Amino acid sequence: MTAEIISSQELVTVWEAMTPPLRCLDIMKLAVGPKQWAEYKKAGALPVGATPFSDWEAILAEVIVGDAFGVDRMDYLLRDSYHAGVAYGRFDQYRLIDTLRILPKKHEESEEPALGVEEGGLHSAEALLLARYFMYTQVYFHPVRKIYDVHLKDFLAVWLQEQHQGGRFPTAVDAHLALTDNEIMAAILKAAREPDSPGHDAARRIVEHDHFHRIYKRNPVDAEVNPGAADAVFAAACDRFGNDNVRRDSRPAKGEGVDFPVLTEDRRIESSLKMSDVLLKIPAAAFDFVFVEASLVENAEKWLKDERAKIVEPQEREQIDGSATA
Amino acid sequence: MDRLRRDVILIRLIEALRQRGSWCGETHVQKAAYLLQEMTGVPMGFEFILYKHGPFSFELRDELSAMRADGFVSLRVQNPDYGPSIVPEPAADALRKRFPKTLREHEPRVGFVAEQVSKRPVVELERFATAFYVRQEMGAETNPNAIAQRVHVLKSHISVEQALVAVRTVCSWAHEAASLRPGSQA
Repeated sequence: MTAEIISSQELVTVWEAMTPPLRCLDIMKLAVGPKQWAEYKKAGALPVGATPFSDWEAILAEVIVGDAFGVDRMDYLLRDSYHAGVAYGRFDQYRLIDTLRILPKKHEESEEPALGVEEGGLHSAEALLLARYFMYTQVYFHPVRKIYDVHLKDFLAVWLQEQHQGGRFPTAVDAHLALTDNEIMAAILKAAREPDSPGHDAARRIVEHDHFHRIYKRNPVDAEVNPGAADAVFAAACDRFGNDNVRRDSRPAKGEGVDFPVLTEDRRIESSLKMSDVLLKIPAAAFDFVFVEASLVENAEKWLKDERAKIVEPQEREQIDGSATA
Repeated sequence: MDRLRRDVILIRLIEALRQRGSWCGETHVQKAAYLLQEMTGVPMGFEFILYKHGPFSFELRDELSAMRADGFVSLRVQNPDYGPSIVPEPAADALRKRFPKTLREHEPRVGFVAEQVSKRPVVELERFATAFYVRQEMGAETNPNAIAQRVHVLKSHISVEQALVAVRTVCSWAHEAASLRPGSQA
């Protein structure tokens, strides 16, 4: 969608009016970034004429959409923490930007250039990455926020089916841009008021704040017994309470780009993870939650307390002869 | 291939690299996993693009982070001369015990890749993996000189001469790896 908007006639007119004129493909590449570029490649959807990222394009993309120092990330952390009224999204972005440097990754025995920082900016970089960890664990992955995402998705799946064939947002640029939060909010309110409307249950839960409640979150104790413990709890809860009364939401940890070159005061180049115990120990933010309908919470919590050990026990092991055993 | 089976192969690959003397930073794991998947055909399902030090998978980076979060591996600075190493943790035992058949099935290919990769510095791995990536894009029958020229264009800090050595090396690895694929007559 981003690529399509950038290459739309309206914007192409803007790019071409600049001096020197900008090339659509270059803008697309940097706006989308290498991670999404890989997704396009996987889907066979790379634009015609697309080329791999050069070293310099990769660095420029790091500056714009990178995991460690991307300006997009800096912006949303500061903005979201301000609007959410929390302090932990803040960091000294001015100091960090002042100390960014392009450095060869000599600590990896390579001459390839990469985006790094001077040693003096390392604490600002730590603050950014800690801010990100706190914002994810305390705000973005808060269980109540997550369950409202689930209710919203439940509503949209039904509503979009009614509005647009296929149950998905329209992907033609004009139709996509024409559908705003206002249309969705109005549709939620309407569906919440009309019990026979498609998506009524999910819409009512959003409007009346009658959300499902979390009964389980992934934890290291269960994961040690069975890395798929949350799958097992979700399946068992669905069996016990019915699919309509149980929801799950999860996001595994993602790569976070905490390893970058640091230019030391005596002009050596070292790994950030060698220079900073803080960066080495920041956990990867992830969650895996199972929720049940509010009226079932007490019952479900007791059930899980009694049955947990049995539920999380791995059900299948491969045998060397190729069979699987229960 | 499901996530846990993929994880157990990655854990075995990391172990195999370390057993052969690699300090096993993320770049080693990225390049070794690339060759394991694309050269020897272990179907892990990662998408690689030409990026940091050659072929790079964001999905693999995410998976390594998820494995850290799950306690299967950790990052440790073990050698003051190098960056952080990826080290399997005791929690990985549960996976090993659960998937012995998967481990056994892929062991020869894991061993082959670890043997080629483990002792090489990142700067060489970058050349070899990039050479193989470009060879795959241009076709295995393409003239090695043309592949080397293309490698140089894409990674200007790799000279044409270095690229040519890399192309010849990966051609010979690919030939050897073909005999390790399931159903191979070799």
